[in-house]
Amino acid sequence: MRDRLEISMQANHGLFAALVTAGLIFGAVASATGDVFYLRLATEALILGGLALSVDILLGFTGLLSLGQALYFGIGAYVSALVLRAAPDFWLAIGAATGAALVAGIVGGLIANRVRGVYFALITFGMAQIVARVVYNTRELGASDGLIGVPVLEIPLGPVSFSADDPLGFFLLTFVIIGLLYGAVAYLLSTPFGRVIVALKANESRVPYLGYSAWAARMAAYVVAALVAGIAGALYPMLRGFVSPELMFFASSGNALIMVVVGGVGTLVGALYGAVVLTVLKSVIGSLTEHHLIVVGGIFIAAILFMPKGLMGLVRPAMMRWLLARAEARAPRSGAVRRTTQ
Amino acid sequence: MSHHAIKAAGATVLAALFATTALAQDGPIRIGVVTPISGTYAGIAQQVTWGLELAAKEVNAAGGIAGRQIELIYEDSEANPAVAVQKAEKLFAVENVDFLTGTVNSGATLAVGQVAERAGKLIATTVSFADSITGDKCSPNVFRVNARAGQQSAALAAWLKQQKPGSKVYYLGPDYEMGRSTVAAFRSNAEAVGAESVGEVFAPLDSKDYSQYFGALRAARPDVLYTSVAGNDTVRLFTQMDEFGVSQNLTILGASGTVTSQNIGAIGDAAEGFITGVGYSTLIDSPENREFVEKFRAANGADPDLYGADSYGLIYAYKAAVEKAGSTDSEAVRMALEGLEWQTPQGVKTIRAGDHQAVQPMYVVQVRGGQFTIADRIAGEDAIGADACERF
Repeated sequence: MRDRLEISMQANHGLFAALVTAGLIFGAVASATGDVFYLRLATEALILGGLALSVDILLGFTGLLSLGQALYFGIGAYVSALVLRAAPDFWLAIGAATGAALVAGIVGGLIANRVRGVYFALITFGMAQIVARVVYNTRELGASDGLIGVPVLEIPLGPVSFSADDPLGFFLLTFVIIGLLYGAVAYLLSTPFGRVIVALKANESRVPYLGYSAWAARMAAYVVAALVAGIAGALYPMLRGFVSPELMFFASSGNALIMVVVGGVGTLVGALYGAVVLTVLKSVIGSLTEHHLIVVGGIFIAAILFMPKGLMGLVRPAMMRWLLARAEARAPRSGAVRRTTQ
Repeated sequence: MSHHAIKAAGATVLAALFATTALAQDGPIRIGVVTPISGTYAGIAQQVTWGLELAAKEVNAAGGIAGRQIELIYEDSEANPAVAVQKAEKLFAVENVDFLTGTVNSGATLAVGQVAERAGKLIATTVSFADSITGDKCSPNVFRVNARAGQQSAALAAWLKQQKPGSKVYYLGPDYEMGRSTVAAFRSNAEAVGAESVGEVFAPLDSKDYSQYFGALRAARPDVLYTSVAGNDTVRLFTQMDEFGVSQNLTILGASGTVTSQNIGAIGDAAEGFITGVGYSTLIDSPENREFVEKFRAANGADPDLYGADSYGLIYAYKAAVEKAGSTDSEAVRMALEGLEWQTPQGVKTIRAGDHQAVQPMYVVQVRGGQFTIADRIAGEDAIGADACERF
């Protein structure tokens, strides 16, 4: 039995496999040429991809536009930085950041989920601005200067251990963590609970009539998104060695939103592609012209006008048709390829 | 195709992509400039660029640094430390720059300094004020050629000691982290020269009505008011003090950003007598500065400010250091920069070896007849303050 959501997820997994392949080839070639900068740039792109993934959970599946998702990214980054400065331990930092993002996600969710639509967007924007300003003015958190001095981390992974300074090692570790986040979210969305979340976007007022609590599902989606952003954020100070309040500013949240829109809303993997494309483009164009913001803005507008389904929209429909045809061919008798909503 | 063959083929293709210009010793000296070309601080970045360009042009026309031309390579930091760090890494790893400058906000300077330290390269800031950069967060790879916040406070305090010894001082700052830290810095400087603190108050940013603080201010009977409000807040504070007669028999000192060319017109007569300490002014009456201002105006059609002057001076410091070191090697240049003395538009500067902070003469400027005038010159040694760097 196959339905549209499963087919859609399969297409995403195919595209994710393509991303992994491209990443591995890139990693092999870059390390063979002794490159450092592009590997670390790609690592940053993946970390920002985690933030974009978090935006897509809300925007693409739950139907909630968050303009302040960098709040949870920043909380993860600050908690990770504070822990690492006190006790340089990878798992402790990840654990503490996850815990902080969970608590912050529940508190933020209780506030933001009282409202819908444009009010939700404004509340999430406001919460992120408030926390960013508090951090900006708190001397214990480094105030406007941020916190430097996050040590270069030695990361133990079972029998082997490598330094966060090793560009290839940390790139692969980041890829694995972002991959696990992607896999976990994709799995969650394919469970019956995930279908309730998807139903929220399709028609929220019908959900209670089917016997589900719309509030609980929305809340859960919000907390999951906060966790994803927080864990991605925890990786940031390990890569760059510092955190600053700018990580929580609207520019960060806005960039994540652009990544999702350019990559393809509601595809999960599109967020990762969007992050890679936007980060690389910004770096390359930024070196060519001082008017790079205009160019990136132009690309964003063009993406909305000519690629309403983002980069993923260029290949995904064909993939889905093929997967659908294959599923029908395999199960011709059951006649049960349900065409439920996506 | 064996695994090795694939790797080799890939390496060849990518080698072309990742290739950085091969650097011969006789090629140009590459200086990276990570500066906020877009965003809040674009105006400062413009001055930084103008200053660097002018100096580089002069040095190149005169034969370069030890016979090598200077090449400036720009990247936009968007006034965001996260972006600045990424751009600095690119300049170090891909463009292979020998030296880096241009960072404006203190957070970016600190974060980029850490990148430089881990990459074994040197940076210098010509703009960031935060004392911590050459204080408790100092780095062996970071230099600062502009005056830090503490030097402005110390210059003002030195003036206070000379002109109004033992005076009673009241402090009024804007209620946010920077406002509180500037007041705290001046307070400790003033008390160190024998002034008596009689009270302090912090008003919210963007206050409309300052008269509520005047009662406490009058009751404390200060001779001197120190304030670090800025922008339109200064306009309201000064005009209201004038209207209420509070500013009579009161000397008003302030941070260098309190009264600027942008708001002096709106403050009008109420700005009369205001005093602040600066590291640079176009009014400095020396042949070097007159020549610099003239050349800067001719090249850019605008007056230099402190950022333009300090950035201009940096190129000459780097030139002197590289010629003394005999190479652009970071270790050698660091040694040469430590203790370096060189000529700049605002006079001779010295880089203190203990914390990499430039020691320079400071100027006390006063508003007279709606214009800034230079009231006094404080020798560099009197304004530099203690070396608080413990890392090297």
